[in-house]
Amino acid sequence: MKASIKRIEYFLPEKKENNEDLKVDNPDWRIEDIEKKTGITNRRISSKGQTAVDLAEEACKKLINSSINPQDIDFIILVTQSPEYPLPTSACVLQDRLDVPSCIAFDINLGCSGFIYGLAVSSSLISSGLAQQGILVCSDTYTKYIDKNDRTCRPLFSDASAAVHISATKDDSIGPFELGSDGSGFDKLIVPSSDSKLPSDNAIANRLYMSGPDVFMFTMNMVPKAVNSLLRKANKNISDIDLFVFHQASKLVIDSIIRHLELPEDKVFTNYRYIGNTVSATIPIALNDAIKENRINSGDLIMLVGFGVGYSWGGVLVKWQ
Amino acid sequence: MSDIEEEIIGIIAKSLEVGEININSSVENTEEWDSLGHLSILVSLDKRFNGEVAGIKKMANIDSVKSILNVLKNNNLI
Repeated sequence: MKASIKRIEYFLPEKKENNEDLKVDNPDWRIEDIEKKTGITNRRISSKGQTAVDLAEEACKKLINSSINPQDIDFIILVTQSPEYPLPTSACVLQDRLDVPSCIAFDINLGCSGFIYGLAVSSSLISSGLAQQGILVCSDTYTKYIDKNDRTCRPLFSDASAAVHISATKDDSIGPFELGSDGSGFDKLIVPSSDSKLPSDNAIANRLYMSGPDVFMFTMNMVPKAVNSLLRKANKNISDIDLFVFHQASKLVIDSIIRHLELPEDKVFTNYRYIGNTVSATIPIALNDAIKENRINSGDLIMLVGFGVGYSWGGVLVKWQ
Repeated sequence: MSDIEEEIIGIIAKSLEVGEININSSVENTEEWDSLGHLSILVSLDKRFNGEVAGIKKMANIDSVKSILNVLKNNNLI
């Protein structure tokens, strides 16, 4: 059997933060300049004590109410870098919250490429016969890692979750995949604290650090290569793709990818402006918004591409059903 | 200073949206040359050199006009 995406639901925390809010803590920031480059006007912020599992639970409940019964769930794969506990795997906490009977449940510790990796693993579980259907959920609360004065990260990152019902189908709708990583960039986007390396009570070590220029150079260099490699693998051209949905990193990043690949802008879906960079959830959220905006029709060929922390990247073609 | 060097300095000034940039300008003495400003410089230079700058990892960590010119020279772009 092959796998297909049946339905997507997402959840955004209630608290919104706009760019004027940033000025309260940072009166010297040139907000217009920041907004022109990031393209982001609003972000969502999880409340104190609201975890990635809490957000994931909300998105999964929407999916359970609309698309899948708990007793039919064969797997829960949670893509997160904001786990509830160092152990156990947060997917088990989520399984318990959702009252799902025995199933495959585990986390994938990946960021902006995580949805693509999760889709590859979900598809593999189904095609190998280990599962018939399940939930892939991406959820993060990166804003809890970010210092209020961090001009590199705070204008970008936002909290959200997105849950995707993936089910067996006879038609071949997901694939091929292009997956890769370059660990030489591990320290360019990092939360350095851990009980084994640095004490977790170290305030600085608990904060997200991003070398914006390094991550940007990686993106400009690697993403076009990955897209072209995926096209070659599928024996397709850019003109064969109906819609590109990239990780919603920022305006500067997506504009640069468009320029490098010479993509028609109307074939690239973006929604970063009002939601921000929600890490692994950006792609399924954008995919769902594209569906709502009638940008995707049955039979369309869509390319999804995630990239970032690791460094890690992944791309896939999806024939929309 | 060569024409191409002057052009590069002009590109850096435009990217940072400042009037006064010279051969001695750097992160240390140019307030606008922060992380976002640096990204703007990278994008503008990459456009000027038709995507060639994206492959030069060193460009992520340059911090002065002199070092930009040196890296571009060392990569035979100017």
